[in-house]
Amino acid sequence: MRWTLAGLLLTAILAAPLQAADYQADLGPMPLDDETKAVIAGRGEAEARLDGARLTVSGRFRGLPSRATAAHLLIGPAIGVPGSKALALSVSGDTDGTIAGRYRLSKAQVAALRTGRLYVQIDSEQAPPGYSWGPKGTLWGWLLPAHARATPGVPQRGAWFLPQLDTPWR
Amino acid sequence: MPHVALRPRAALLLAAAGAALAGTIAVAQQPGGLFTRAQVAAGRSAYAEQCAACHQSDLAGATDAPALTGASFNAVWGKRAVAALYSKIHASMPYGRGGSLDDATYDAIVAYILYANGAPAGDTPLDRRTTTRLGAVASGKPPADAFADPAAPATAATGAPAGSTASQEAQIGGAKEAAPANGPGGAAAPATSAGFAAPGQKVKYADPGRFVLPSKPGLSLKGAIAGYRPVTDAMLRDPPPGDWLMFRRNYQGWSYSPLAQIDTGNVARLQLKWMWSMPENGTMEDTPLVHDGIMYMWGVGNVIQALDARDGELLWENRLGPFPTSAGPGPSSVETRAMGLWGTNLYVNTPEGWVYALDARSGEEVWKTHITDEKPGVGRSTGGLIIIKGKVIVGMTNCGRKGTPDHCYISAYDAATGKRDWTFTTVALTGQPGGDSWGDLPDDERKGSETWIAGTYDPALDTTYWGTAQGKPWRRDERGSATGATDYANSTLALDPGTGKLRWWFNHAPGETFDLDEVFERVLVDHGERKSLFTIGKAGILWQLDRRDGKFLGATETVFQNVFTRIDPVTGRPSYRDDVVKQQSDQWLASCPGPEGGHNWQAMSYHQPSDALVIPLSQSCVLMLGNGSQVYYEMPGTSGNLGRLSAYRARDRAPLWTVQQRAPFLTSVVSTAGNLAFVGDFDRVFRAIDVRTGETLWKTRLGTTVQGFPVSFAVDGKQYVAVTTALGGGSPQLKPGTMLTEVHRPITGYAVYVFGLPEER
Repeated sequence: MRWTLAGLLLTAILAAPLQAADYQADLGPMPLDDETKAVIAGRGEAEARLDGARLTVSGRFRGLPSRATAAHLLIGPAIGVPGSKALALSVSGDTDGTIAGRYRLSKAQVAALRTGRLYVQIDSEQAPPGYSWGPKGTLWGWLLPAHARATPGVPQRGAWFLPQLDTPWR
Repeated sequence: MPHVALRPRAALLLAAAGAALAGTIAVAQQPGGLFTRAQVAAGRSAYAEQCAACHQSDLAGATDAPALTGASFNAVWGKRAVAALYSKIHASMPYGRGGSLDDATYDAIVAYILYANGAPAGDTPLDRRTTTRLGAVASGKPPADAFADPAAPATAATGAPAGSTASQEAQIGGAKEAAPANGPGGAAAPATSAGFAAPGQKVKYADPGRFVLPSKPGLSLKGAIAGYRPVTDAMLRDPPPGDWLMFRRNYQGWSYSPLAQIDTGNVARLQLKWMWSMPENGTMEDTPLVHDGIMYMWGVGNVIQALDARDGELLWENRLGPFPTSAGPGPSSVETRAMGLWGTNLYVNTPEGWVYALDARSGEEVWKTHITDEKPGVGRSTGGLIIIKGKVIVGMTNCGRKGTPDHCYISAYDAATGKRDWTFTTVALTGQPGGDSWGDLPDDERKGSETWIAGTYDPALDTTYWGTAQGKPWRRDERGSATGATDYANSTLALDPGTGKLRWWFNHAPGETFDLDEVFERVLVDHGERKSLFTIGKAGILWQLDRRDGKFLGATETVFQNVFTRIDPVTGRPSYRDDVVKQQSDQWLASCPGPEGGHNWQAMSYHQPSDALVIPLSQSCVLMLGNGSQVYYEMPGTSGNLGRLSAYRARDRAPLWTVQQRAPFLTSVVSTAGNLAFVGDFDRVFRAIDVRTGETLWKTRLGTTVQGFPVSFAVDGKQYVAVTTALGGGSPQLKPGTMLTEVHRPITGYAVYVFGLPEER
């Protein structure tokens, strides 16, 4: 009996990463200062669904200061910490537009998604000119477990979403 | 102190005098140099005028202003083009007025910075687009005259130093004001009301004749307040309901008023009763004090005013000075956040490090003393004060450079005489408890641990509690303290107010490295026998300690943070992210929150009836390269809402409610027995919230950013709420000022507003 329970538990643990899960990202301006804020701007949202190792991503953006040129999924060492490119997303539109992509993720990429280290980045034509340091790009946002987005000025009761507490850390 | 204040104006006189400086201070000139010596001379003056107040006269940097010379500057900028430095300075400087100077002045400032970093002058003017790397031309070794004071020749040429007492007296006596830099005899067209240049006009901002009315220091209006009731120790321990006698009203730092006339049912009818314009051009983060219907205000330039709290009538005014010497918002080093009342005196701790006792009835000076006896370059103070059993206790900022024996200390003064009673040095020195926590650094290298928020006090335990800022330099790799905890920096200190003796300390962020201060409010709350101290720092972690012995009781993360990977549930000691531990000055490091915090000086309120801590929070991150470059971004998962106001049940730190919005909150919270919490924000909104639900019940929009410490008081049986609008300060203004491009704020509008209910018919 004990072995049966242990087997069921092991099966459940192994199966967990294969279950479908939903993620979302708020796309906002990449790091900026007074020198670059005119060319790093805009906003957007992205959603992702992981089914087994199959990831589907879609999103929208608007208000870029110049035409969108490329978009990628990147992996950083922690939530909110920039990293390196992992997968390309397709981009359509101009300063407003959409992104999309379908992939089969590696185990490392699945782990990065589960732990909040996978993020979307959209580049644009003019951002940032003469900006020879730091991460380049226009919009970015971390794919985090699906959660209720806050409406400005509207109170949320009880415990609310905090990425470091509501995302598995390994 | 007048050192800092004098220089810009003196430099202006120098500029008006033409090329005198170039002939006075010789500058090496080489054919291959990227700039001319004339540019260095002009840049030296412009730097003194526009930059030195924050970056310091020796370019060493302070508070939010990074060093512009030395190892940290070269680590950040050595591999980057001169054009990048020019672009950065042009876009973002002077503080809050990026792009507002003429291009030649920017050229000159960059030339001077290059020169001060060892680059030789040459025959051709600076090409602001040059791709030459700084490291290729600047040796990093400042020449002997790099930091020579440009004021000296000007003083010799024009008589009394500009801005000096002698100069002010000359003005008062009818002497002609110094000529504005851009026009003989002051005939140039006036600048716009915001202090910016009119079209085609070149404005030298540090011209007091242009933007500041000549102002006579001293008692400009003597008061004669009759029947003044002296403030006693008993009143400080148990404040009268209608009074606001100290920083956050009671010794426990609650920022809570027991008044209930204005409540959730009638707050929608709240209306403006009166407002009073305050001095401009600086930084104001003010707490109005109210005693028996008299309101005491601190204004820019240390202008102290007593107002009739019923109608805003001026009762007395004492202009302590020094007055602002540059237009527009000031840095985070020229304000004070709290005055105090005791006996018949009003106590003022000026940012220049003076402690004044003024007669609260007349405004006349009773005594004054300086916290470092005017030692040059040491001892400013912005946190205000607390008065405990006849002692005025104040903190300190600007506590000395590496290699000097100066350190930060908390000091106490006899409220009757001003005589210094004790000091407590806020870094642990060799042989003291915690003295082994600075690696191998000798005592003279242990800097920082400023106390820029006044402490609180538990009368029953007879203990005063203070927070400290981090060790300096705040980058661990530049500080040289290895992984040491750097006690007593970023700690809670428990001191005997009678002697200054340390009872215990708790280090919240051992070896801090991101400019994430833990210096803010210490709020004292009892639950039965449990005596807690609550505090929250820039990392956004709400700490609960046993204030009897400093034992860790618990911690709750209130915003996203990625600096710490773990907080030990038993000891409370946090573990840093791996790349933070291995940091190097030439690598980018990300920090959420950034230096805006999580939480900053905008204090929480403890609403006693509901046992709720209502906390202003901010949600921005920073990517930083050494201590030289910072770029900002929104916190993941916040949808671009930089502002957050959250309530936690104090007993167990359980989350109650949270409200997010685009604009961060720039005031502390004051809660009342009417179940209301009042708070103001960056985008000029002042609002009343139901403290039980977080719902906004009333709001209004004021003249500029709502900034300061709102209070509630009563006169003649009527309850009022007072709040200030103002600009200036550090990261809470700087970061949203860059990120919230859609928010437009007047650069003027410093004032106090007083609200109340309509008169009953």
